[in-house]
Amino acid sequence: MTQAEVAVPAPAPTRVRSAGSPSTVVALVTARKAVRSGAIWGYIFGVLVTSSAITYPRIYKTQAARDALAATYGANKATSALFGPAPQLQTVAGFTAFKISMTLILLGAVWGLLTSTRLLRGEEDNGRFELLLTGQTTRARAAAQALMGLGAGVVTLWALTSVFAVGVGLDSSVKITAGRALFFALAMAATPVMFLAVGALTSQLAPTRRQAAAYAAAFLGVNYAVRMIADAGVGLHGLIWASPLGWVEELRPLVAPRPLALLPIAAFTAAVAAVAVRLAAARDVGVGIAPDRARARPRLRLLSGTVGLAIRLVRPTVIAWWVAIAITGLIFGLIAKSAGATLSGSSGQVLAKLGAVGAGPDAVLGVCFLVLAVLLGFVAAGQVTAARSEEAEGRLDHLVVGPVSRYRWLGGRLAVAAVALLAGGVLAGVFAWLGAASQHSGVGFGTLVDAGVNLVPPAVTIGGIGVLAFGTWPRRTSVVAYVVLGWSLLVVIVGGFGGSGTAINWLLDTSVFHQTASAPAVSPHWVANGVMVAVGVACAAIGGTAFNRRDLQSE
Amino acid sequence: MQNVAIRAEGLTKRYGGVAALDHLDLEVAPGEVIGYLGPNGAGKTTTIRLLLGLISPSGGRAEIFGVDCQRRPAQTHRRLAFVGGEANLWPSLTGAETLHLLGRVHGSVDAAYRDELVARFDLDPAKKVRAYSRGNRQKVILIAALMTRADLLVLDEPTSGLDPLMEEAFRLSIREARDRGQTVFLSSHILSEVEALCDRVGILRAGKLTEIGTLAQLRHLSALTVQATFDGAVPDLSGVPGVSSVAADGRVIRCHVRGPVGPLLRVLADSGVTELLSREPSLEELFLAQYGNGLGQGSQQDQGGQQDQGGQQDQGGQHDAG
Repeated sequence: MTQAEVAVPAPAPTRVRSAGSPSTVVALVTARKAVRSGAIWGYIFGVLVTSSAITYPRIYKTQAARDALAATYGANKATSALFGPAPQLQTVAGFTAFKISMTLILLGAVWGLLTSTRLLRGEEDNGRFELLLTGQTTRARAAAQALMGLGAGVVTLWALTSVFAVGVGLDSSVKITAGRALFFALAMAATPVMFLAVGALTSQLAPTRRQAAAYAAAFLGVNYAVRMIADAGVGLHGLIWASPLGWVEELRPLVAPRPLALLPIAAFTAAVAAVAVRLAAARDVGVGIAPDRARARPRLRLLSGTVGLAIRLVRPTVIAWWVAIAITGLIFGLIAKSAGATLSGSSGQVLAKLGAVGAGPDAVLGVCFLVLAVLLGFVAAGQVTAARSEEAEGRLDHLVVGPVSRYRWLGGRLAVAAVALLAGGVLAGVFAWLGAASQHSGVGFGTLVDAGVNLVPPAVTIGGIGVLAFGTWPRRTSVVAYVVLGWSLLVVIVGGFGGSGTAINWLLDTSVFHQTASAPAVSPHWVANGVMVAVGVACAAIGGTAFNRRDLQSE
Repeated sequence: MQNVAIRAEGLTKRYGGVAALDHLDLEVAPGEVIGYLGPNGAGKTTTIRLLLGLISPSGGRAEIFGVDCQRRPAQTHRRLAFVGGEANLWPSLTGAETLHLLGRVHGSVDAAYRDELVARFDLDPAKKVRAYSRGNRQKVILIAALMTRADLLVLDEPTSGLDPLMEEAFRLSIREARDRGQTVFLSSHILSEVEALCDRVGILRAGKLTEIGTLAQLRHLSALTVQATFDGAVPDLSGVPGVSSVAADGRVIRCHVRGPVGPLLRVLADSGVTELLSREPSLEELFLAQYGNGLGQGSQQDQGGQQDQGGQQDQGGQHDAG
């Protein structure tokens, strides 16, 4: 017998530390990312609830002040259309529910659709999902598991919101029962749940992540518009049941809880999720149900340089924003007259805290235009983020060795962004005027176009700060731009419904939206606007110079 | 025309404490095809990104056709075309649109040659980039670079994802470029490709250029592979001057010999050798020899050695990609 024939003992099977059973790995991988994001947003929700609840008794100290507040917003159709109805403003609970519910509902919906499309369609686009699918699973099971993972994210969000809500309810000046606080947290988690499911469905339909998010965002936009009409006091309140956002509103947490409204929410979520899983099983990996034209005739008109390329790349997104801004402006114009009619002398003063001066449709539009300013802020932050992703994903390399100087490339992108912002502002004004004029509101065309242009400077500041981050801290470009936007909005909402004082004023000054005059309620402050544009341009110039000097950084 | 296409003097790039590229001195003549070899993280991509002005050096300088890469990047770019190993393109554009765009951006395009390349690489230009396979996206950026007829082609692992037929089309295109007098800087992992195309080869190790020369020069510096078959017992070669990496397999012995072969031949002649083969090392063997493996010692060991090298350079590698 030679040595080679000696029996060698079989090697012991190698033990690999398991990342979960093979059948749950998709759920775990998705859950890990969803929980991280849910924790961040649960914290933000909790802080918003807490700050709102504890500021009320400190600002509205007397019963008279609380009655005046209730008299103003309790029957105000403009704020009702924007933020939902406002019953029981004389109480902390009623005020908190009114002040932050709609903000949380919208934030929750955006979180849900972005998280879901990112973790489903996005993971599929970049090929990581395929690796998981080659494990011991099927497409349907993997989709169901991914949905469970997303569920873990929303449970985290709900749990953190609950902790804050129950905690602040214990405060002697707030006094909200634990049961109501928990139900409120549940209501605030309802939109995220529904839009996680909607995002899961559009992830099956759309050919790319971006389109999946766009489909879901369009669904959200339609929903908000339907809800807005239902709450605008034009005799169509029944429409509230046609909108998932309306169901959440009908839960009436903190004020008069109606758990029955959870039924349509649960049914909708389950149905949409089930359809998403069925579609995931039926379709091929990497392609959506909606046809994606893989071949196309060349359209070369714009592709003669970097500016044309920038236009071609951002056009679909920018047009979608323009449509959203135009429709929102139109709706504001339509409701301005009837909403303005409910304002009377003393309530007008309270509305003035939100920036509106005087009474009538001008005052209402002055408040409403804040929403349009926020939409334009999103356009600005989105444009800077898009520029960074060209660098992060390595496409910029092909242009700068093209040869295109970095200044020229960035300048072209910023010029396109500036046009997108300016046109967005003008559209806001023009469509608000169309709405207002159709109701014979008597607000002039020039006034509203001015008010529309007045929305542009804060967006320029947000974009400029974003470019500064792009030049100096490129991997955080998007975060910085959206944080400036989110912070500005938060401060102006808290400050607007809140009182005054040095601390509040100092905080308010950090908001770009606070620096903008509430046109058309008051005339635009063109000097302040000039300063904001100058700050934006200066930040962009510093950011551009830093970008020109630094190393290109891909992800 | 300047007499140097690429010149690097003490070119250095550090990330934190790690030197991704360490005092690179390099000259490439116009019309030359130079191969640039090294394992992952050795500094190949860092060198290219420095030459392209995409990143700034921590020390030293580089020129392309006499123009400083850092001070006047756009001017140097006018005379070069670049192909990266990752074909990140705009997913919503078609192949034809991408070629049109990159051609317009570069400014000079040989349209007839472009069409010839599209046919040669068998590319369907009507498809959107999103729908292309990895290899097809690579074809797009290859065609985009070649169609410019730029004086200098900077290629960073240009054939990753291409099938063998397309690899052949690529080699043909590079030979055409050389025949036209274009300079080619080819960073590659595919040693047979470098062996087939390049006049000179540089080998990079841990950020340092350890060898540079023609293949003949590199071979001269390296060991000869000898295989001998015996009619009886194999002799002990361990003490013979110049001999290393001895491996016996029955009556066959393989070894490497560096320097004079006389001592080895005398031992072999006295031991009843029946067959004797000797050959120059392939580029692959030269390359592996650079990384601390004896020539031709079982592939397992070779791979192990390469992995070790990669491991040491992980940090540099990450920055490399960034």
